[in-house]
Amino acid sequence: MLSALLVLLGFFAGLLGALTGIGGGILLTPILALHFGIPIRQAIGTSLVAVITTSAASSSVHLQRHTTDIRLGMTLELATALGAAVMAYLVGYFNRNWLEGIFAGFLLYSSITILARGGKVKNEELPAHNNGETVIPPYEPNRYPLGLGASLVAGGLSGLLGIGGGPIKVPVMYIFMNVPLMVATATSNFMIGVTAAASAIVYYRRGDILVQIAAPLAVGVFLGSLLGARLAPRVQTKYVVYLLVAILLYLAVHMGIHLFTGGTA
Amino acid sequence: MSQVREPAFDKAVALVLRVGAFGCFFIMLAGLLVEFFLPGRIPHAIERAGVLLMLATPVVRVLVAGILFLRERDWKYGAISFGVLTILLLGAVFGIGEH
Repeated sequence: MLSALLVLLGFFAGLLGALTGIGGGILLTPILALHFGIPIRQAIGTSLVAVITTSAASSSVHLQRHTTDIRLGMTLELATALGAAVMAYLVGYFNRNWLEGIFAGFLLYSSITILARGGKVKNEELPAHNNGETVIPPYEPNRYPLGLGASLVAGGLSGLLGIGGGPIKVPVMYIFMNVPLMVATATSNFMIGVTAAASAIVYYRRGDILVQIAAPLAVGVFLGSLLGARLAPRVQTKYVVYLLVAILLYLAVHMGIHLFTGGTA
Repeated sequence: MSQVREPAFDKAVALVLRVGAFGCFFIMLAGLLVEFFLPGRIPHAIERAGVLLMLATPVVRVLVAGILFLRERDWKYGAISFGVLTILLLGAVFGIGEH
């Protein structure tokens, strides 16, 4: 029964994630903590498994379209993996209230930034096509120190909150490093798996990944993101995004109340 | 791409990720089904295998890309790949014995 509920939760998070372009981790962690009574640190570790599943499935698709810059991704992974592993290690010393407070703040911040951008989460640009082949204009990534610095921060956030960190990496590659948006999106997606694994391995060794929770979640997320990817071109994303913002705000408020009442609400 | 596009390289890395994601999905699905009919230790062990496969997939992806770079005599990106691999494996060492 519990497993069925978790498959459903994963399915919903994967579907919403694929439709709006956000990762599932930001939804899964707070829902596991608030509605399934799982301590926040274990909720983070467990949802990291779902984040890796999503990244592996979706970036294999991007790779086949040849829009991923593996060299750039691998270079920035030096920083994201380091940030993620170190932060995941430090989280072992954080108490539950800090983590819940940080997470509530992050949920609030995410919903406000999505609203401020007029309900746009996806950074899409129309790819040029030539005989069915995706054409990418030639480019040369630059400002590596800046890119590595931002990747370190994105990795740290991933290890701290159990999320992918795409909302940081994509704009940094696109705006500062001179990478076309389509390549930046695919490469960020590609990096998420390694980033999440760097912290997930630390969480796992500490016993912070609940296997019996992670399995049904991953099954649901996998199916949900497959369906979401197929539906995405046909669905009015705007309404889905408002639904997402409503859920994020609800979770932020609930997490805040949970924090101040000492976990009784 | 910033360098020459290498479709075969992309394909090999994509294969690793797809095998990992689909493999993990079917192992975990099997775990859930066994759990439904036969609760106990066996489904738990199957689910644990699924989680470990998922954690191993990005590690194998980095290893495979590193080997492909070395085979192309691209020493710089080969070294970067093995740097990432080292960080991933250090992560495993950091977590030991902590609760």
